Amino acid sequence: MIVAAFATEMGMREAAAEMRRGDCGFVETYMAMEPWEAEDGVEGGSVLPTVMLGGGIVGGVGGFLMQAYATTVSYPQNVGGRPDLSWPSYVPATFELAVLGAVVAGMAGFLLLAGMLRLYEPVDEADCMRGAMLGSYVLVVRPADSACARRVLARHAPIRIEEVAE
Amino acid sequence: MSAPAVIAAGETAQSVTERICAVTLREGARPWTPLWWWVAFAVSLGLLGMGVISVAWLFYAGLGIWGIDWPVAWGLDILNYVWWIAIASGGTFISALFFLLGVEWRTALNRLAESLTLCAALCAAIFPILHLGRPWFFYWLFPYPNTMGLWAQFRSPLVWDFFAILTYVLASILFWYFGLLPDLATLRDRAGRPGQRVFYGVLALGFRGSGRQWRHYRAVYAVMAALMAPLVVSVHSIVGMDFAGSAATGWHSTQFPPFFVFGAALSGFAVVLVVVLPLRALLGLQAYVTARHIDVLGRLFLTSSLCVAYAYLMDAFSTFYGSDPAERTMFVLRVFGLYAPVYWGTIVLNILLPQLLWWRAARMTAPLVWLIGLGVLVGMWLERFQIIVTSLARTQMLSAWGQYTPTIWEWSLLFGTIGLFLTTFLLIVRLMPVVAMAEMRAMLRGGVG
Repeated sequence: MIVAAFATEMGMREAAAEMRRGDCGFVETYMAMEPWEAEDGVEGGSVLPTVMLGGGIVGGVGGFLMQAYATTVSYPQNVGGRPDLSWPSYVPATFELAVLGAVVAGMAGFLLLAGMLRLYEPVDEADCMRGAMLGSYVLVVRPADSACARRVLARHAPIRIEEVAE
Repeated sequence: MSAPAVIAAGETAQSVTERICAVTLREGARPWTPLWWWVAFAVSLGLLGMGVISVAWLFYAGLGIWGIDWPVAWGLDILNYVWWIAIASGGTFISALFFLLGVEWRTALNRLAESLTLCAALCAAIFPILHLGRPWFFYWLFPYPNTMGLWAQFRSPLVWDFFAILTYVLASILFWYFGLLPDLATLRDRAGRPGQRVFYGVLALGFRGSGRQWRHYRAVYAVMAALMAPLVVSVHSIVGMDFAGSAATGWHSTQFPPFFVFGAALSGFAVVLVVVLPLRALLGLQAYVTARHIDVLGRLFLTSSLCVAYAYLMDAFSTFYGSDPAERTMFVLRVFGLYAPVYWGTIVLNILLPQLLWWRAARMTAPLVWLIGLGVLVGMWLERFQIIVTSLARTQMLSAWGQYTPTIWEWSLLFGTIGLFLTTFLLIVRLMPVVAMAEMRAMLRGGVG
């Protein structure tokens, strides 16, 4: 794979966009802060809010059903003449469990979908990567067409180019 | 007059990274941990040790070592729980609520504020467990299939509270840690010593700042913030319902949930001010925590004090507008009786002193703001004493009136949790970045000043 460091975010983004348009290979960018906006040619959204909604629904519905089961089937109890299925009093725990489900789903989903928990990746062998979280702008391309990638990089003048074995 | 900047002139993404990493990694001319930190840590450990002894003696001798009895069966244990959980709220308000509102000044404060939330929530979580009397059975509160065929009483606010605290503590830890990931990755790549690289490398969980990671990170952080804001309101509403759900004099009030949310906001902002003001000098953060932050926190502090004043006023109004003579008698005794100094201490510290913050000159005088903040922390503790102890001591039946005096074991437990709070917070300050570097870099790119 080819790893290139740029002096500016714009330089990196333009090179990445051109490589994607030219089908030079799989391109990924690395930087120390959230990108300014979605990159050209990259899906801007994330599926994780939907995953969190799912986690919240599982937590909330599961919590409500658990309370309903406990108070109507498993252990009915007459408290001040209230009905066994006194659902308004289930709402606070249902809300809390919905929030807990959503937050845990978000964290777990992030670890899975964002490629986390890989403490080592071949790209780490590139010296440029040491600066990615310190303020450099790093572009990594796994070229399908190596000549195309090098042509684009030459046009955008990165400050450093390295080649790393996959 | 134009507002001061939220960051000092001349600061760049690079300078923020270097300054904050230097504090955490002990880089530069003074690579050792500063003396003030060791002194504070030693004092904190001393207090924590006192708390450990107090808990050990409690486990051995039982609840009889405390001053609680009939009719005051809830004493400093519940008081301290309510006090700590309210203190925890400040971080969530600043970090989550003001993130959703898109305000720039939160960026420099959110890490410190979230860390305070975490430490205070841990202290709060201890008390309900110890209060159970047989704390080793606390897991009975979990709804799980068991051979006894028993379930928790889901109609009780005390069980709602268990779910609220469980969710709040876990969600606060995850929100704090999730926000830390990019900064841990920065520390990993910046660290010079192998031990530091391994420590921060493992904690960073493989975050490298790829486009894919940032895309998902931004989405999850925003949703977490959107969930944390109503969560903190729900937690304090449920704490209010712990009291309002009972028929005790002075507690059975529909205004308790918002009353407790107002109180939580006031003590939360107070603790942030009390901690941030000295830390900005000790850690050299004046470039990031500027006069603007102090001014804004002072305004929020004043606003929440006015909300609490409104709640106190409504408490008095609803008592005398209602028709229950026991409520009126209890209120009169609260104001003029045995515990009157507690009531008037609450009014002076929570309501009257913060009114000084109407003046900008007062808001800009750090020692004065610090003292007012400290006064509010004491005042909020007195408020909980007033709510819990005065109400229980003066019940509907004259023959059941009683008195409560905390024992040394209750006091030592309170100071022990202050030790736990300070110990965990000092460790966080020493080992973790105290300012959210990635967010500061993004803010600076946007040309904020």
